[in-house]
Amino acid sequence: MLEPIKKNWRVLLLVAVVLGSSVALFAPQFAPETAAGTTADATQGATNLQYGLDLAGGTRVRAPLLGYTATDVAFDGTRPTQVASDVAAELPNVSTRDVNAVVEDSTTGSPTGAVDVTDPTVDEAQFRAAMDASGYAYESIRSGVTDETRGVAEEIIRGKINEAGLSGGSVQQVQSITGEYFLLVEVPGEGREDVIELLEERGTVQIAIAYPDPDAPDGTAVEEDVLIQDDFENIGTASQRERGSGAYVPVSVVNEAPAGEQSPAERFQSAAVDRGVAGTAGGATCNYDMSADALAENSDPCLLLMVNGEVVNAFGMVDDLAVSMARGSWAESGNFRLTTTNFSDAQTISINLRAGALPAELDIGGQGTSSTISASQGENFRFYSAITGILAVFAVAGMVFVRYREPRVALPMILTALAEVYALLGFAALVGYPLELAVIAGFIAVVGTGVDDLVIIADEVMSEGEVNSRTVFDSRFRRAFWVIGAAAATTIVAMSPLMVLSLGDLSGFAIFTILGVLVGVLITRPAYGDILRRLLTIR
Amino acid sequence: MTGIEVPDVDYTAYSNRQLVLVPLAVLALALVVIGGWYVVTGAPATPGLEFTGGVELRVVDDGEDVRGQIETAFDRQPDAIQSIPADDVYVVTFRATDGDPEDLAGQLDDQAAAANLETTGIDQVSPNFAADTVRTAIFGLALAFLGMSVLVFALFRTVVPSVAVVASAFSDLLIPVAVMNLLGIEMTLGIVAALLMIIGYSVDSDILLNNSVLRRTGGFYESVSRAMRTGVTMTVTSMAAMIVMAIVAALFGIDLLRDIGVILAVGLCADLMNTYLLNVALLRWYKFEGVSR
Repeated sequence: MLEPIKKNWRVLLLVAVVLGSSVALFAPQFAPETAAGTTADATQGATNLQYGLDLAGGTRVRAPLLGYTATDVAFDGTRPTQVASDVAAELPNVSTRDVNAVVEDSTTGSPTGAVDVTDPTVDEAQFRAAMDASGYAYESIRSGVTDETRGVAEEIIRGKINEAGLSGGSVQQVQSITGEYFLLVEVPGEGREDVIELLEERGTVQIAIAYPDPDAPDGTAVEEDVLIQDDFENIGTASQRERGSGAYVPVSVVNEAPAGEQSPAERFQSAAVDRGVAGTAGGATCNYDMSADALAENSDPCLLLMVNGEVVNAFGMVDDLAVSMARGSWAESGNFRLTTTNFSDAQTISINLRAGALPAELDIGGQGTSSTISASQGENFRFYSAITGILAVFAVAGMVFVRYREPRVALPMILTALAEVYALLGFAALVGYPLELAVIAGFIAVVGTGVDDLVIIADEVMSEGEVNSRTVFDSRFRRAFWVIGAAAATTIVAMSPLMVLSLGDLSGFAIFTILGVLVGVLITRPAYGDILRRLLTIR
Repeated sequence: MTGIEVPDVDYTAYSNRQLVLVPLAVLALALVVIGGWYVVTGAPATPGLEFTGGVELRVVDDGEDVRGQIETAFDRQPDAIQSIPADDVYVVTFRATDGDPEDLAGQLDDQAAAANLETTGIDQVSPNFAADTVRTAIFGLALAFLGMSVLVFALFRTVVPSVAVVASAFSDLLIPVAVMNLLGIEMTLGIVAALLMIIGYSVDSDILLNNSVLRRTGGFYESVSRAMRTGVTMTVTSMAAMIVMAIVAALFGIDLLRDIGVILAVGLCADLMNTYLLNVALLRWYKFEGVSR
């Protein structure tokens, strides 16, 4: 019983691999999860295979985060937040929120770290001047942001994609050989505009108060950052207003603070009262001129809802709320509605508040790439690349038949090469690697190299007369295998740079070519040897 | 039993010098083409979108003079309009120029929409990113070639046969680049992948030949003709696959597969010449003259 298994283990291993691939390809247990947040792409067919963007449609964006970083900054024992605000103070019109300081090396006596500025209006020279003026010693200035900022940005983009309901999107950091970091964002099934809009905006949301100021040229002064992103919690979903037009996002303002400090809710409350938005007699009636970005004549002070620095809505306050603010009781609950003029603004605000603001801008137009394929085009590509692959296999099969004219040699050759591709498809389904055009090219390359090696085996085994014993066969097979192993090693060496370098989506091509070579050398080619031996020695 | 008989070449009729002459002449020609290209255009090959930056739109061809519409729809002249009849689309390319607006791709997309052109794909590459891609590609190719050379030396542990393999691989790489220039094909990422593949593919037949001559018993000419029978079958089979892939992919407008197919077919063709002329001559010199020194 054991003897036939031992004798034919190579063929049996191939059969096992093919069966395993079938399970991975067709068994429902291995079907990709479609829950939001997984990297699985949405489009699916009869198999468990997943398709990448160019075969399923979607948008891919690769771009660096805008900013400059000062490295090896000597903090001299100062807290990072203090360092950040010191540097920000040297940059006119730059908010402290756009300067971050992180401790990177605290092992030595005086901790050093990095400081980055993410305001896109600051250029390298300005930042250098600000760093010099702030008095902290630093080593050099480079473009890009700190590791920490990049990590936060990655998380926030992931959050934004999920909050926007774009299922199957993925975000990762990639590094070019020049050491620059890029964020790679892939969103299946979405058009360019939607994705870019979501990513390009930093998504800062704030409440400001506009109040009359006779000294200002347009009669309006604005107190910014009365409430910022982090001051909101329990963010609800965007809702249509029950009465009238417009929409709103229900939120609550954080009403807790460390002892001795004002909570954001209390701060907001007192600011609203101080600026005259709220009073014991009732709330302000707002009349804001959006086109002039200023209060209309004789208007009460207004609350301004600003997204990405632009006013999206201005509103006064209803009397009930104003009275409770004036009495100082509102801050206990902190409930509030951010009202907007239309529903899509409310949706944007809800997404931005939930996911947070991007710490830096993604520079898609300046230093990035983006690529969009529509779903129908992706489907076409899937069909066309399948035809291309099948025709290429026919070409190979045709050549092999013409060359050997013997089905006993040629037929197993074609079948073995196809088994190799089948095993790779099974692997792709198993690990959920999305198929892309580059991967299909890899499959075709695998058929090419696979058949090459089978030709080597067949020719070697059949050379020098009849194969009449197992020993003769084995020694010839081993000789052939040296060449195959050497050829496989060179292919692997040649393709491995492509596997790790960030060159478009060509890593898929390299990965599957290398895998194919490995599957070939370890499993399918030895099995072909065994099959050939049986066919040639038993007559 | 064999259908196509791989022709037996009578190598004894030619001197090593005669054998080497053809591949070296072709290599020299390739070098002249690439060098000339460099002098005239500033780059060894015409870089494609991925290496220059720019925007590429795929516009649906609904049969109503789309080409005419494309020519007038945009506020700038497209650098190329390529029709792909099998897929009913036009591929419109705009190269990046100095002073491009930040959101060029978005603007072009809007202009296409304003002209009632339906786009099914937009690729945008910024010039800075493209410059980075050029460096990465060159680095990758150099690394792969170096790795292959080291491996070949480790496998054979003799200088002349190893040099023969590396030299013919080098020529296999340059000839397709020169042919590409002459045919007006642009350098793309697909072509970089194909060149890397050539590094892996082309040494197969060289290794087979060297193995047959150096490690097997039997006379030199017998070993060569044995290796040739197998090697030519291998290479021609792969070439058939690549030519079919190039033709079909070109019809369907799948640039990546077309580029890989064309370049590999040319590279394998070059490999046939280099292996069975250059490599054989070097091996014969090594076998009959080099060893005895």
